[in-house]
Amino acid sequence: MTWFWITLGITAACYGAVIGTAALMTLAERKVSAAMQYRYGPNRVGPFGLLQPLADGLKFIFKEEVVPAGANPFIFKLAPALTALPAMLAIAVIPFTGVIATYEGTEILGSIANPDIGILYVLAVTGIGVYGAILGGWASNSKYSLLGGLRASAQMVSYELSLILSVLAVVAMSGTLNLHEIVAQQSGWLGWNIFTQPLAFLLFLICSYAETNRHPFDFAECEPELVGGFHTEYSSMKFAMFFIGEYTAMVVMACLTTTLFLGGYLVPFWPDAPWFVGLAAFGAKTAFFLVLFIWVRWTLPRFRYDQLMHLGWKVLFPLALLNVFLTGLFVSLGSGGN
Amino acid sequence: MVVVERKELSFWERIYFPAILKGLKITVSKMFAPRFTRQYPEEPLPTTEVTRGQPRLAVNEDDTIRCVSCGLCEAACPAYAITIDGQETDRFIEREPERFDIDMLRCILCGFCEEACPKDAIYMSNELELADFSREALVYDIEKLKRPVSALQDRIDYVKRINDRWQTSSST
Ligand code: SF4
Ligand code: SF4
Repeated sequence: MTWFWITLGITAACYGAVIGTAALMTLAERKVSAAMQYRYGPNRVGPFGLLQPLADGLKFIFKEEVVPAGANPFIFKLAPALTALPAMLAIAVIPFTGVIATYEGTEILGSIANPDIGILYVLAVTGIGVYGAILGGWASNSKYSLLGGLRASAQMVSYELSLILSVLAVVAMSGTLNLHEIVAQQSGWLGWNIFTQPLAFLLFLICSYAETNRHPFDFAECEPELVGGFHTEYSSMKFAMFFIGEYTAMVVMACLTTTLFLGGYLVPFWPDAPWFVGLAAFGAKTAFFLVLFIWVRWTLPRFRYDQLMHLGWKVLFPLALLNVFLTGLFVSLGSGGN
Repeated sequence: MVVVERKELSFWERIYFPAILKGLKITVSKMFAPRFTRQYPEEPLPTTEVTRGQPRLAVNEDDTIRCVSCGLCEAACPAYAITIDGQETDRFIEREPERFDIDMLRCILCGFCEEACPKDAIYMSNELELADFSREALVYDIEKLKRPVSALQDRIDYVKRINDRWQTSSST
């Protein structure tokens, strides 16, 4: 029974933290973009506008829900949930910090679950995320939405491949799929995977932007061509759900980048730091990637669609393959030498 | 005919990264630049005597209203915003308004009333803010429109200056 409460506590803390961060990201997005354009951004609701996400949420709840004529109502309503759910599922295995305490001889880890196939699980559930966009686009009975959904699926197929290949290189290096162990492997001087696998890091970063439908790869919702893409026809809380899903996915991707390449909760030069320092380190590293998401969005123009496909298949994919090949070569040579 | 020479991109230009980093540097440097936004309610726009705000009725130092209820502003108003009922008074001017309403929702701030007034009784003030919860509350009555001459002095001087210039140029 005690384990039940411990797990429940950790689950509540993790979900609260990630979804709270996602909500704050919507504010940060507006604040940072405003600062980059010589504006102030929202600063009226609460101190520094901190309660703006709450106000937005309330507003969304009170908006009218419109289901367009000719839409498939069941799938139309299912799609937003399908977008938000996978991102939230992925939170379950992210190692936020190391061992918190020991209870009855078992270590309490800073993640909800610690399956041996952690990274595989994350890739599997985030892969489902695109179904929300495709189904939403199709069920809306609108050509813009449909095009947005199609683009989302095409983009996902082309970029998920490189993403997984770049993760594969990391996995080959660490020899494990367990996220806690991948983090533990990165301890030591220059042990972070960003130093040993710089190419994989770069590929992963680029692909994670495409995965989360962020600039400069936000073709699924490209405003000038597709009005709003797959969520053109959505309103009220269902529209907000897409946003929650998108921002949660961003937070999860930032967490994942931190875990895989920046040593997760490891603190440089302090190998046995207590768990809350590790948590803070994890938060700081993740925050950097979150800010990078926003920073890149408000800096770069959107790609052209053919450039996107060109980049995905002719540049990133071969590079990722090469990286996997080289890593495999080194690993097998290394173990062969032992 | 124009021949467009397409420049071959160099290797560094083709891999985007230097350009992306340059772009990121520009945006982050702009984050700390001074901001243009005016924080409106706390930082109102400056007004001058030329600002044509809402019309107000001038009240002399001895608390008497200048308006003689002649109705010229009512007639001049293109938006039919003004409604006047006159009454007698013991003062030298013999007439004053009993009722003087301006529907601020109709008023287009054109300033014709100011121009039409023969008694220098109505002036465009520098008051610009207009908000309330009902339409009725935005029909301003005489009490809401009264302003002491001192509050309108800048505008009064300005209008006089403009009118004087017009008069001298036509007489010559
Ligand atoms: S400013 Fe123009 S619209 Fe307004 S009350 Fe005077 S004449 Fe009428
Ligand atoms: S024109 Fe002047 S004097 Fe005549 S009614 Fe209007 S404000 Fe009064």
